[in-house]
Amino acid sequence: MRNRSLFFAIIALGYLSFCACDSEPKPLPILGERDVKNGDTIYHQVPDMVLIDQDSQAFQLSKLGDKIVVADFFFTSCPSICPRVKKQMLRLYDKYKTDPRVMFVSHSIDPRHDTPSVLKTYASNLGINTVDWKYVTGDKDSIFHLADQYFVSVVDDPSAPSGFDHSGRIILVDKNRHVRGYCEGVDPESVTGFFKTIDQLLAEEYAK
Amino acid sequence: MRSNLLFLLLGGLFIFYACQPNPYRQGKDLYGAHCAGCHSDDGSGLAKLIPALDTTKLKLREPKELVCLIRNGLPFDSLTRQQMPANKEINEVEMTNLINFLGTRYIHSERVVRVEEVQAMYTACQSWKHKD
Repeated sequence: MRNRSLFFAIIALGYLSFCACDSEPKPLPILGERDVKNGDTIYHQVPDMVLIDQDSQAFQLSKLGDKIVVADFFFTSCPSICPRVKKQMLRLYDKYKTDPRVMFVSHSIDPRHDTPSVLKTYASNLGINTVDWKYVTGDKDSIFHLADQYFVSVVDDPSAPSGFDHSGRIILVDKNRHVRGYCEGVDPESVTGFFKTIDQLLAEEYAK
Repeated sequence: MRSNLLFLLLGGLFIFYACQPNPYRQGKDLYGAHCAGCHSDDGSGLAKLIPALDTTKLKLREPKELVCLIRNGLPFDSLTRQQMPANKEINEVEMTNLINFLGTRYIHSERVVRVEEVQAMYTACQSWKHKD
């Protein structure tokens, strides 16, 4: 009899601690290298580069105000993975487009062809509102460097379709330009899990 | 007794194959390898950039039109900046399976094409031009 109640107590305790873990998940990590200066930890930040958007307006992360950012890198004539990634970006966009705390940003890595007007046409064919989803580009070296800072690999590759090889990652950046998570845009299941990551960041960033 | 068992086994096999959702396995694989990247696994395309496959427009196409469209591709559209690439490496047998797969899975067409027809279409495709 005593043995049995002990058994139930252990089960109950296990269950309770499980619930506790579940309701308070570990904070999302800040990805990238870190530095310690004068006792303070300096985390990796995405550079606050001035880019140009689909309306030929200057675009800068620091000017977005209090928003977290869901970002990807692509180019309009990309025949390989981009349609798959865009489809998944649309899935995310459909959920968060009415949420003023979330901004979507697609970076074109082909500034030679993807001028603001080309990006504007592309966005309108995709059926999205450029108030919540910006299409941006900049000079090629800057965009390639920026992709690197977002931990997205982008290389010139003459053997790849249309001359670029890039990864289909979708990246989540917090209000302080820290990278807090990513998923693989070519894998719908990875994106399914990403909804939770975004929700968690929203909860963390807007708790106070 | 033994013949009963054989009968059951054959019957079971028949039902198993008859119940497969799509008989064109090779067509399905080809779709995955050559088409799904842009037209998406479920054939829904991408908004106004890449057409969905179950449209009435496709349904009204003659199989020859569809075969030549897949084989020759479409020229680069400078407005949408999209291009349907050519698929010259797909041979006649594969194309037959692909077309029949598309017909049953996306276009819902009753028409089944045969390899001999597709062979004739391949010759005709040499002078085929896309008309929208």
